[in-house]
Amino acid sequence: MDLPLLTVIVFLPLLGAAVVALLGNAQAAAGRAVAATVAVVDLALVAWLAMRFDVDGGMQFVEKLTWVPQVGITYHLAIDGMSLSMVALSALLTVLAIVASWKTEKNPALWFSMLLLLEVGMNGVFVAMDFVLFYVFWELVLVPMYFLIATWGGPRRQYAAVKFFLYTLFGSVFMLVGIIALYLQTGTLDILEMAGAGLDPTFQWWVFAAFFLGFAVKVPVFPLHTWLPDAHVEAPTAASVLLAGVLLKMGSYGFLRISLPILPDAAAEWSTFIAALAAISIVYGAAVAFAQTDMKKLVAYSSVSHMGFVMLGIASMTPEGLNGAVAVMFSHGVVTGMLFFLVGMVYDRTHTRMIAEVSGLSAKVPVAGGLLAFASFASLGLPGLSGFVGEFLSLLGAWASDIPVGWVVTSAVGVLLAAAYMLWLVQRVVLGSPSEAVAGITDLSVREVAVLLPLVALTLVVGLYWDSLLRFTDPAVRSVLVMMGGA
Amino acid sequence: MSELLLLTPELLVLLGALVALFADRITGHPRAAAHIGAPLAVIAALIAALIGTHGGVFAGMLALDSLAVFARVAIALLLAFWLRWVSGRGAGAERSAEAVALAMLSAVGGMLMASARDLIVLFISLELSTMPAYVLMGYRRTDARGLEGALKYFLLSMLTSLIMLYGLSFAYGISGSTAYADLGVVDAGTLGQLAIAFVLVGLFAKLSAAPFHYWTPDAYAGAPAGSVAYVSTVPKIAGVVALVQLVAAFAGNGGTITVVLLAGSLLSMLVGNLAAYPQTDIRRLMAYSGVAHSGYILLAAAAGSAGGTAAVFYAVAYAVPSMAIMLLGSEEGTALDDLAGLAARRPAVAWASVVWLLSLIGIPPMVGFFGKLTMFTAALDNGLLWIVAVAVTMSVVSAGYYFKILRSVFFGERLDAGRATRSTAAVIAYAALTVVTLALGVLASPVLEFFGLRF
Repeated sequence: MDLPLLTVIVFLPLLGAAVVALLGNAQAAAGRAVAATVAVVDLALVAWLAMRFDVDGGMQFVEKLTWVPQVGITYHLAIDGMSLSMVALSALLTVLAIVASWKTEKNPALWFSMLLLLEVGMNGVFVAMDFVLFYVFWELVLVPMYFLIATWGGPRRQYAAVKFFLYTLFGSVFMLVGIIALYLQTGTLDILEMAGAGLDPTFQWWVFAAFFLGFAVKVPVFPLHTWLPDAHVEAPTAASVLLAGVLLKMGSYGFLRISLPILPDAAAEWSTFIAALAAISIVYGAAVAFAQTDMKKLVAYSSVSHMGFVMLGIASMTPEGLNGAVAVMFSHGVVTGMLFFLVGMVYDRTHTRMIAEVSGLSAKVPVAGGLLAFASFASLGLPGLSGFVGEFLSLLGAWASDIPVGWVVTSAVGVLLAAAYMLWLVQRVVLGSPSEAVAGITDLSVREVAVLLPLVALTLVVGLYWDSLLRFTDPAVRSVLVMMGGA
Repeated sequence: MSELLLLTPELLVLLGALVALFADRITGHPRAAAHIGAPLAVIAALIAALIGTHGGVFAGMLALDSLAVFARVAIALLLAFWLRWVSGRGAGAERSAEAVALAMLSAVGGMLMASARDLIVLFISLELSTMPAYVLMGYRRTDARGLEGALKYFLLSMLTSLIMLYGLSFAYGISGSTAYADLGVVDAGTLGQLAIAFVLVGLFAKLSAAPFHYWTPDAYAGAPAGSVAYVSTVPKIAGVVALVQLVAAFAGNGGTITVVLLAGSLLSMLVGNLAAYPQTDIRRLMAYSGVAHSGYILLAAAAGSAGGTAAVFYAVAYAVPSMAIMLLGSEEGTALDDLAGLAARRPAVAWASVVWLLSLIGIPPMVGFFGKLTMFTAALDNGLLWIVAVAVTMSVVSAGYYFKILRSVFFGERLDAGRATRSTAAVIAYAALTVVTLALGVLASPVLEFFGLRF
């Protein structure tokens, strides 16, 4: 019997979480060592899977067992290039989050077990190919994230954590209604079997609307984004990284895996609307980012803007656009992760996130300042770094599609705005002479640099050698398009 | 004689109730009644499961279909968990023997009600399951508020019971029989519709469904939380089975009965969820949450035979975590703030409460999610899209007030050590309730298979 690799990848962190929780705060050092080991092993397993992965092989490593046959629920895991890129991101960012928060002093056993529990949900969402299983992982993510924000967050953590939970729950219960409607129509809960089922267009429209609520809250698409700034500002650094890096991608992944292949007619009808919301998200996120005085809030709003490019690529429904969407998802995870880590590291030293109070990082702490500048360049989409790849492809796809030109142009303006607010941030924070808050601080430690280096490397590799990412995503998105055409 | 053997579970629980009255005196142990009752109830549950389904018993007065078997087992098991908890603590400051006897009598009534196939049996078993509850709710004889609540409960419950009896007399008048099998002709003409409406009034009040819910918050808030833990959960399961079987007997063909059920459902969901939100006492909060869950149950009950199964399953999915939360409230205090700091004092129980509350919200993989999934599936299959939309929206609202409990447990500040008297027995009860909450969700398939439940 083959090793059920996906099951191990998904549930190994659950085992780790249990061990860490049982070790408790009394053996916190052992607990975090276990947490780190489990996360690293999980990442290694993902890497091993990636090496054995056949890029043209479609869905692979399939595991399918019956779960609740009375209502047609199966335990169905499988992975394709799109899923793989997301699982890799999830496994990598979890390792980095654990290392970055190595010195957590408040209830460390709970902290590390929650991070691992979060990884179970994140990994699971991207490989679950049964609707109910997908929903299980989708909701599972909420619980650890609630505790991460509500326990270790900022002053308004309770409010932010519950708001995050309720917003997402609101979207997902409608998704559940959509899932049930699809089940009643097709008699299956298998996501892959349902693709290209050729459902009635009116029915598709309503189901699409239900899923849209679920996914768009998560992405988040304007005007459903209001939970995000609160959650990010209050969340501790590692939770912010995972929230922006992986959780937001669950929404856009849902569009790619479920809405497009299963509801192609509705997707075509909705595409202009989605493109419009995407363009508004891009410009609105960028404009609001401009006005921020808090670094973390700036990065949070830039996420709204970047996720707009994902939605634009999805709305284009062209190979370029979908590849672009996945590329932005991956790159945003890496780059925004880097930005949140850096903001957190600066905050740890200066105890402020106010842009006005921090300046001259490059003079005082050149490593931190340099990396912050690098991450900012990557975020604004400088060619040669990963941010450029996806945004370029998304716009290219949008041009080639039926999306009204006005929305594409508006989106393109967003690229300019991103350059402006990120460069302005660099100018104020990295350059100049050291401010009072920066005066006495020390540069990044080896551990902190070790957290950032893999992200720097990925930014460069993907940015310089696009194929390293696109070879995985391209066959997957093309098969999505085939399924859409097959309806 | 052989037919009487089919009632072994009921007889065992009845025996336990009688023994309970004298157990303390004979053994000299203050909580002997519960210690004896809990294993008896477990055995009763096992035997009920072994007996399985059976056609008409006693000339068709009773029948053990899969729903009845499922409900019998669930009631006996929940009774056992409750007794196990009582065995560690007692029913508050008072003697526990009478409480144990009353709960067991009520359980006998519930188990009979679930298998009733005749209106007379239904009414007698309904009263048997409700009467002890009045006493349990007013168990603290010196507490004026508790007595007021219990009296309110008693008066309203008697009134609605009599209305129901009146309706039953109409039904008998129309069909000329008290057997469920002959009730199909009732839903015709004004008198028949009145009959159905009256019967539903009685059942709505038992399930504390709106608009007959208003006794619940006051009665619960005055009663000892340990009593509420029992009264708010176990009799409800039996009531739902009776409701589902009556709906089927009245040939719920989209006539009067569906309209009444849906109206009650909508009202219960809205009133229950919205009124639960501002509550600061767990008993009142859970009272309104119970109203809300009754709303979901009525929605399922209106959705054909698949819905009926879903309704019963959901009643169990509601009862298990709700009982756990009320028991916890009984130990720790019933104000929301009394739970503050529980995570620091009793981390395992605090995390168990996360499982219970998430199950009540409907988060997978807990049983509550599975209940909602089957229920909404049945309802959507019957074209009840709009009311399902209300139901899911309201379940988001419910998350809001359940999180108030969670927030108090994990993030509330409390300096003293709480007033919990901890006991191993209570921990066993919590563990059992938690395991059931999780296992009925994750391992739903073998359970459904065993009981032959189909959606």
